[in-house]
Amino acid sequence: MISMTRRTALGAAIAIPAATALSRAAFAAPTELDLFFPVPVQGMLADKMKELIGRFNGQQQAVAVTAVYTGSYDDTNLKTRAAIKAGKPPGAVIMSANFVREYVINDEVDPFDPYIEKGGAGASAYFDDSFWPALKPNAVIGGKIFGIPFQNSTPLLYYNTDAFKDAGLDPDRPPTDWAEWVAAARNLTKPGGERWGSMFPATYDYCGWLTSALVMQNGGQYYNHDYGGEVFYDAPSALGALMLLDKMVNQDKTVPPGVSDANACTSAFFAGRTAMMMLSTGSLSFIRSNMKLPYKVAFLPRSVRHAAPIGGASLILPKGNTPERQQAAWALISWLTSPEIAGEWSRFTGYFAPRKAAYDLPEMKSYLAEHGDAKVALDQLQYAVPWFDTFNTVAVRKAMEDQVQAILSAKSTPAESAKAAQKSADALLRPYVEQTALKSLG
Amino acid sequence: MTPSLAVDKPNPLAGIAATTGSRHPPSGRWLPALILLAPSLIMLAAFTYWPVLRVIGESLLVGRFAGQGTIGFDNYRRLFVDPHFGRAAWNNLVYAAGTIGPSLGLALAFALALRETNRLNSCLRTLVVMPLMIPLVAAAALFSFILLPGDGLLDFYLHRFGLGMVNWLGDPDLALGSVIAITVWKNTGYYMLFFLAGLAGVPQDVVDAARIDGAGAFRRLRSIILPLLGPTFGFVVPIALVNALTQIDHVVTMTQGGPSDATNLLLYYIYQQAAQNYDFGLASAGTVISVGALLALSLASFRALERGIHYEG
Amino acid sequence: MKADRRLLGLAGLSAAVLAWAVPFAWMVVASLRPGVPQDIASLTPAGPFGLENFAAAWHSGNFPLWYLNTLTVCGGILVVQLVTISMAGYAFARLSFPGRNLLFAGFLLQLLLIPPLLIVPNLATLVSLHLYDTLLGIMAPYFASAFGVFLMRQTFRAIPRDYEEAATLEGAGIVALIRHVLVPLARPGLIAFAIVSVTAHWNEFLWPLMAVSSPRSQVLTVGLASFASGAEAGSAWGIVAAGTVLVAAPLLVGFLAFQRRFVSSFVFSGIK
Repeated sequence: MISMTRRTALGAAIAIPAATALSRAAFAAPTELDLFFPVPVQGMLADKMKELIGRFNGQQQAVAVTAVYTGSYDDTNLKTRAAIKAGKPPGAVIMSANFVREYVINDEVDPFDPYIEKGGAGASAYFDDSFWPALKPNAVIGGKIFGIPFQNSTPLLYYNTDAFKDAGLDPDRPPTDWAEWVAAARNLTKPGGERWGSMFPATYDYCGWLTSALVMQNGGQYYNHDYGGEVFYDAPSALGALMLLDKMVNQDKTVPPGVSDANACTSAFFAGRTAMMMLSTGSLSFIRSNMKLPYKVAFLPRSVRHAAPIGGASLILPKGNTPERQQAAWALISWLTSPEIAGEWSRFTGYFAPRKAAYDLPEMKSYLAEHGDAKVALDQLQYAVPWFDTFNTVAVRKAMEDQVQAILSAKSTPAESAKAAQKSADALLRPYVEQTALKSLG
Repeated sequence: MTPSLAVDKPNPLAGIAATTGSRHPPSGRWLPALILLAPSLIMLAAFTYWPVLRVIGESLLVGRFAGQGTIGFDNYRRLFVDPHFGRAAWNNLVYAAGTIGPSLGLALAFALALRETNRLNSCLRTLVVMPLMIPLVAAAALFSFILLPGDGLLDFYLHRFGLGMVNWLGDPDLALGSVIAITVWKNTGYYMLFFLAGLAGVPQDVVDAARIDGAGAFRRLRSIILPLLGPTFGFVVPIALVNALTQIDHVVTMTQGGPSDATNLLLYYIYQQAAQNYDFGLASAGTVISVGALLALSLASFRALERGIHYEG
Repeated sequence: MKADRRLLGLAGLSAAVLAWAVPFAWMVVASLRPGVPQDIASLTPAGPFGLENFAAAWHSGNFPLWYLNTLTVCGGILVVQLVTISMAGYAFARLSFPGRNLLFAGFLLQLLLIPPLLIVPNLATLVSLHLYDTLLGIMAPYFASAFGVFLMRQTFRAIPRDYEEAATLEGAGIVALIRHVLVPLARPGLIAFAIVSVTAHWNEFLWPLMAVSSPRSQVLTVGLASFASGAEAGSAWGIVAAGTVLVAAPLLVGFLAFQRRFVSSFVFSGIK
């Protein structure tokens, strides 16, 4: 647990000007706001978030925020949409970054531009100056800012250095490409489940994320980054990725069959029952606290290229709130995404801070010097690619995930799966496509 | 333990009262009846009958985006070509068979074994009924751990017998079975209570007479006890059917229909279409089909039981 | 030989029943073990023991609010149900009017068409009545209870007419009759119904999940589900167990204390 330095405390006061833009009278009743937030990775993040919100409330009188834990990314999405549809939108939501596009398509969110500009900055310049470029495609849609990045992650390769030594591999030279990865897994696997070469979570959401990583490492686009109506599930790049999974799980048997969730992966890693795992940087702190065996982290292996999809969440402004409420939300959001708080949250969770300036602060510099694993996550950002987002993202994502899960359980071949996934996805995207690309021109 | 059914005050005239009551009905007075029934009827209309009409109507409304409403059967067409729906329907059939059969069978077995009221039996009955008292999501939370591969309770103890890491919820072949097992664990005690009550109505002297006559336990069960339990089955089977269709809390929190649709059930499919995909036409069509199936199956089971009772005589 | 068979049967039976109790045993044991021990699955751990998990669960969830909301929902539903089922039960038990049987069959239909099944249209109804995201919205579909009407009809029918005739002679109208004569006599039935109703709604999940989205209107089951998923994210199984105890405790304790009442209620309600 990283304690807050005085500098951080003072630094957090930057949001106060934004908050005072709200209430003219010092004794005006505070604007009440509810913040929906998910906890998609491991660790006691819900408690920390509530603590942060308590701090924000204590530091100013204009806004009173209630932090509402709303489950996973998918659950948070459901609850937010239900609330908006019923006319009772939350004040702000920490929404999975790849759902923002769909909210824009359905006209359920408002852009941040007016509030940013009120603070004196040009909106576009504000985004480019503040946040990493890889985050832009998921947050800036149609030229307007609809998502302010709060926490971001990429997948990492975690590996047990003792296991490497035990298998005769150099612990300082983790696999850098698929061929080396497959070979290493073979060397590291001990029969009977005593030790697996590699594991990764394949539950909904995680599965799609890691699959997109593999496909993009294989040179593919996976989906059309600029248009939410197309996916490329049966392109050769995707097929190749599915074949890799099939090889490791069903042929080499270096990855356990079936669908493992994140807990199963980390439990196995902690117990030395898996030598490697593909997991989010968001779990970095959790693993650091619980892994007693020596381990290191590395970039994901490449195929045609390195690719690490962004994961994580951005803050959004649901439609249907009064401008006053949205101004209050902006006060909260600019505080939460300030370099100081972004840095603190990053150090606590293991997510990397989307705010570039966070890494200029001395706390962050000393933290990175001390924790090489966090530095690796940051360095991998140069290869970051955007997160899968389309029309009806969850269902279209599941179209591929169901097929991948079938491959992991040897119920389907890569070729069958790729075709089935594409067919399923096309059917789901059809209504949107007919409204846009194939729109009847009269 | 004989459950107490009687009203507190002694009731020697009960039989007479019942018959005299029906022989002199005040006829044609519908106004007081209407007033007494009004609150219930209004609620039923709002939350049972109107929804049925509404869901039928919405299922016939075609068009995803606002302003695109035409009437047609396209939602049903889309429903029947959707492999997820077909899978959910099949899974639900398996789930129904897998939960109703074993839980009724076990409930009957427990009821027969624990029929006598003594200290030990009371204790054992309590243990079996306890799952009735907790919400299904609480059971799901407990079983999420119990079924955890490797470190969970089941695998932990199975390890002593050589079996190691079974992925109870992550293996598509095992996932539905695991979900079924949780449901059976939850409901058996509830059904056992009904069988206990039903058995209390089975006159012991008839059973004893049969035993003296040489009829074995199984014969006694088949020819005497089961027919006399007919009305109990008549009550429990529809309840079990409704449960098989509506108890999906554990699917929502544990597996989300996965892996790979292995635990997708009809109501979960409907929930997904409505809550995730905002495809209300599809969700409504799914609801209509599910409700229709439930009504048909209930009617069929009712008829079958009635016939069964009459034949056994 | 017969004694051996019986002993074997008893052993088998006890084993089966104990298997039933294992999840509860784990729940209690794990909730009392703070931290994240390696053998969290063990039913016979050596310790250390403590109540930290309960403190953590209490602190990270919002149990006081959830208890309040759940009590409000269950209590509110019950109060209205007692009124509606008494009135309707009397109508079916004592009054004769055209269409009585048809109407009764219509009531019975609700036994099958329970609210979770009709979630899609019921949510739309809630929204148009401005009841979405309110506790009242959770309660509304249950105010009329076909089950209760059914039960009350049976109960009232079993009461001798003498009591009513005596009261009518003294000039009591229908409402007074129901309130002062029949309801007191039907107390066992009403208590039975109350137990069944409260248990059912305390444990309900899907409908409250869909009908409510904001935190101030969450009930125990929905709160537990989100709390458990958060704690599971940290592999804090002891805390998950403690949270489950907190949700399940009221009904479980009530059950264990008043077993006979509970059991006879459920059984009584099932008797045709």
